[in-house]
Amino acid sequence: MKQLKVAIVLLVVGGLLTTAAFFMAFYTAEVQRFGTITVAEQLDTVIPLESVTADGFQYGRPWFSQKIFYFHVPVAEASFLVFGVAAFFAIRFLMTKKREYDTKSRMAMETSLIFVILTMITGMLWTRASWGIWWEWEPRLTTYFIMTLLMIAYFVLRNSIEDEERRATYGAVFAIIAVIDAPISFFITRLIPSSHPVVFQSGMASSNLVPFIVAQVGMLMVGYAIYTMRMGEEILSERVEAVKEALED
Amino acid sequence: MAAGTQARPSARSLSWRQFKAILRKDIVMELRTKEMVTSMGLYSLLTMVVYQIALSQSGSAFDPRQIAAGLLWLAFLFTSMLGLNRSLVHEQDQGCLEALLLAPVDRPVIFFAKAIGNLVFLLIVEVLTIPVFAFLFLQGGGYGGAWWMIPTVLTAGSIGIAGVGTLLATMSVNTNGKDFVLTVLMVPLMYPLLLAAVSATTAAVLGGDGSVDQFWAGMGGVAGYDVIMLLAAYALYEFVIGA
Repeated sequence: MKQLKVAIVLLVVGGLLTTAAFFMAFYTAEVQRFGTITVAEQLDTVIPLESVTADGFQYGRPWFSQKIFYFHVPVAEASFLVFGVAAFFAIRFLMTKKREYDTKSRMAMETSLIFVILTMITGMLWTRASWGIWWEWEPRLTTYFIMTLLMIAYFVLRNSIEDEERRATYGAVFAIIAVIDAPISFFITRLIPSSHPVVFQSGMASSNLVPFIVAQVGMLMVGYAIYTMRMGEEILSERVEAVKEALED
Repeated sequence: MAAGTQARPSARSLSWRQFKAILRKDIVMELRTKEMVTSMGLYSLLTMVVYQIALSQSGSAFDPRQIAAGLLWLAFLFTSMLGLNRSLVHEQDQGCLEALLLAPVDRPVIFFAKAIGNLVFLLIVEVLTIPVFAFLFLQGGGYGGAWWMIPTVLTAGSIGIAGVGTLLATMSVNTNGKDFVLTVLMVPLMYPLLLAAVSATTAAVLGGDGSVDQFWAGMGGVAGYDVIMLLAAYALYEFVIGA
């Protein structure tokens, strides 16, 4: 169970890194500029930027809505990446017809779905704080929502097929078609006007970039750990099934 | 060269004949039973009734032309899913698909023949639906664009629906929840195509300044989708049908 040990180490390290990034985001990072608008200009006016309490104490407003950037973006990019991995294993499966690739593809898809759900939740919190609404049919949000539906459809498809080989093949075929939406969703904010911020267009100050990269690396580690742990579990349960069958005979 | 192909059919003309044979089979079956066009046409007529309910509270100031394209493509999407499901269920139930697989026919030929067959039925239903829709909802509204716009976008959009739909229906007939699975797979995958097609069709219906630009932008989306998705479907069909 060497892999499980690696997974646990990665989970701990990834957790520490994302937590560190969280603190860095609050204590060392400057205010992030999105394109031409600063966050201050984008924020709703419910809480003014500089607030004064009743007894005259002046305090700076915590940049809650902006700080979610250090969680939302790493999670979103991890979701695209892991979805790509799932499609890669799907292609490998169709090429080799080896069952392990099918399992890998499915596990990667599960991991990606976790990230997608996290992205959706954090994204909605941010749009509520920044745009004043929970949801908008805006190109990035829409294509990402479609991607979520495609992933759910992948599992619906798999669950409705009993024959193992057919399930694996159909799952792989659908994963490959579905992944076409991922680059569309990723690049759409760069192609057509969208109110979703594009991060790496105008560059970032290093005080922003460092926590972002730390969070991204940490998130990928967590993702790999989830994937490896699920793989270990799957291998064990397959072994249990094999033993059960052997005992029945 | 012509004499050579007559003496011994080349691989290409063999595929062409196989393609024609599968397509003819579908069309002859349809001509005898008239099942697909009847059920799809009736379904799309019923959709119009549901639209009337949806629009019943919109008032007289509301111009249905604004959403006509969306309503039309919606009807086509749902009708096509009905037809696609039936088209592949027939193959499955009567063991025709197995026989096709046993025959020495290239898999892509089966894909293209089935897809073209579905495209033909879909286009027939669309051509029947549009006048009914216009009669029921668009009276006195007028048509803004050039005459060739609607047929162009209709054909291009239907190619995408029929092509991708044939692949998905071939998968969904082999699952437990046949038509439900087809819906779950098809609607999200069709999203980009429908969005572009509705944009182009709206430009054609409304006309006016900039409508030609909007039409071609939408057509670009539809064409891009068709090319990418049909290539993917063509490449993957072999795996699906063999499983």
